[in-house]
Amino acid sequence: MTQVQTKPAAAPAAAGPPAPRFPRKREAATGWLFVTPFVVLLIAFLLLPMAYAFKLSLYRSTLIEGEHFALFENYTQAFQDPLVREGVLRVIVFGLVQTPVMIGLALLAALLIDHATSRFSRIFRLAAFVPYAVPVVIGTLMWGFLYSKDTGPLSAVLPLDFLSSSWVLASLGNVVTWQWAGYNMIVLYAALQGLPREVYESARIDGAGPVQIAWRIKTPMISSALVLATLFTILGTLQFFTEPLILQPLNPGSITQHYTPNVYAFNQAFSFQQYNYSAAISFLLGAVVFVGSYLFLFATRKRSAL
Amino acid sequence: MTALTLAACSSGDGDSGAGTQNGPVTVKVWAWYPSFQKVVDLYNATHTDIKIEWTNAGAGQDEYTKLQTALKAGKGAPDVVMLEFQELPTYQLTKHLVDMGEYGANDLKSQYVDWAWKQVSQGDKVYAIPVDAGPMAMLYREDLFKQYGLTVPKTWDEYKQQAEKLKTASGGKAFITDFGGNDGGFMTGLTWQAGSKPYTYDTANPSTIGIAVNDEPAKKVMTYWEGMVASGLADTKAYGTTDFYNGLGSGKYVTYLAAGWGPGYLASVAKTTSGKWRAAPLPQWTAGANDQGDWGGSSFAVTDQAKNPEAATKVAMEVFGASNTAAWKIGIDEAYLFPTATPVLESDAFLKKKYDFFGGQTVNDVFVPAYKAIAPFSWSPFNSYNFNQLTTGINGAIEKKTSWTAALDTAQANVSQYATQQGFKAQ
Repeated sequence: MTQVQTKPAAAPAAAGPPAPRFPRKREAATGWLFVTPFVVLLIAFLLLPMAYAFKLSLYRSTLIEGEHFALFENYTQAFQDPLVREGVLRVIVFGLVQTPVMIGLALLAALLIDHATSRFSRIFRLAAFVPYAVPVVIGTLMWGFLYSKDTGPLSAVLPLDFLSSSWVLASLGNVVTWQWAGYNMIVLYAALQGLPREVYESARIDGAGPVQIAWRIKTPMISSALVLATLFTILGTLQFFTEPLILQPLNPGSITQHYTPNVYAFNQAFSFQQYNYSAAISFLLGAVVFVGSYLFLFATRKRSAL
Repeated sequence: MTALTLAACSSGDGDSGAGTQNGPVTVKVWAWYPSFQKVVDLYNATHTDIKIEWTNAGAGQDEYTKLQTALKAGKGAPDVVMLEFQELPTYQLTKHLVDMGEYGANDLKSQYVDWAWKQVSQGDKVYAIPVDAGPMAMLYREDLFKQYGLTVPKTWDEYKQQAEKLKTASGGKAFITDFGGNDGGFMTGLTWQAGSKPYTYDTANPSTIGIAVNDEPAKKVMTYWEGMVASGLADTKAYGTTDFYNGLGSGKYVTYLAAGWGPGYLASVAKTTSGKWRAAPLPQWTAGANDQGDWGGSSFAVTDQAKNPEAATKVAMEVFGASNTAAWKIGIDEAYLFPTATPVLESDAFLKKKYDFFGGQTVNDVFVPAYKAIAPFSWSPFNSYNFNQLTTGINGAIEKKTSWTAALDTAQANVSQYATQQGFKAQ
């Protein structure tokens, strides 16, 4: 926001005309005009719902006694709830494995198509991106059919029960990777396209091979894009919701109604009518997402330039 | 009082609440019955005072989620809503259902069997009008029974013996049935038959509830099925999945323990097997007994957001009412509904209907006596939680191969804790 306001004012000064065309006040007003749609959306769709959720989370309503102010009772309960803990732990394990795998795949693919500039690379780029264009719900349903033990084609190749409790987390990870690796690849590929080509040339003169260029030159130079892609992945993982919810009916024994914190919050509100408790879990989750992404940005601040 | 309101009702809406506006009163209805559009068109064509505006808000939990949200928000709910029996106490307790007894609904009482009417009412208070029910029966593949040399079992013991015979005869390829541990209604139907009474609840005394999810009959049923699954006699695919449909169509499952709406369901998911199925009574725990349970069944209730509860009640009473034979013709022939109203139930159109899917068998000969033998049953006012505990527990037991009765004990503990948290005096 500050950037938007100050830049237009600074630019004419640098160019050095004697007096700005418009008085400063009007420029500030124009700046505000530009950010207004964003601010309005931010308030309407983020801040207000958050405030409402927070208010809800401080109350407690029961079927018999009605609603009463409960302060942090819901939060205390959430901290002590083993089902919340189980979901959080699962999401962390999931993220620790899935994030590096997916970002690694996306990076590898981006480096490969950046290196090869044949017609084939264009088709490959499109093919890798297509899963992202498929709505999550449809993609997940499709994987559900593929995973089917009796009728799915995968069971002929790998005799596994993909949705059994021992495999289901990996199967979900596969769905997410399939869905998002192409998207991240495009982000990384775009960053690679923006790099100056002369750098590669000097590296080649210095005797670097393609692998060295990719690993020692290109990858560090797109680190800010890598950080961004990882950040989005972490945010997505913490809010893991759609895929387990869609696959749940296929094996409710392995994908429980408290599978991830988000799924649990959803069920608390819409299946068990515990709107207040659900609001507390959601608000906690929001806080964790906020703190988690801030910590990640802080840890990578030198590389990210964000 | 009742007569007065009824008179006001039937004389059109001349001087009743909504009479101030001109033209017909619009009543918004949410329902997911198959072929319901035709029933609505029929109603609108034969009524000048009321017009139904129908929305399919999704089936089962999908609809309930939307309804809960709309009721919580205070607007957006329909005037009349389709609710399954087990959901009624939930909405009754939160006072979101209009007492239709005030608008003459008690006049219909004589048209329904005792247990069905008790599902929707409390004394003179009527919270819904029953539409269809789900008495259970055993559907079986006659051709496969012949092929494998099986006989139709009359008791659960015989059922198990036939399952063993089948396992040997088919080389383990076919199962006697599939046990859908993800369906709370199905499992409750089976325990209901055995005499389980998981809840003692009376809406007249709403804050007290008796909880016995793990009572002896329920444990007996679950131990039986645990054994069936452990010995590889019954499969455990979740109901409603591709694998399950595939099993029904391919002959992997030779019986299907179904509800009254099951024949229609089966006809739509296993079309290729048409003509090969037959219906027989649900196996019994005691030879010669006629104990039955219900799986599913629905009703029309009027929400507290109805602008004109009188007109809404009229719609709930009439749209699938006992005397609405034209609507029931659609309901029976096209939607495969199992009617709860005795006049429809006992009509020749229903009782003597031959089903091509069952090789011309009059399957209602099996379902109607089952329906009439169902014992009264009460649900908790938190059925989503109840079903969730049941399915989570039993599915977990199937998945992790732990004891099924222990799963019931866990469910009992969790439900009791939930009830206490919600302010109930649990007994």
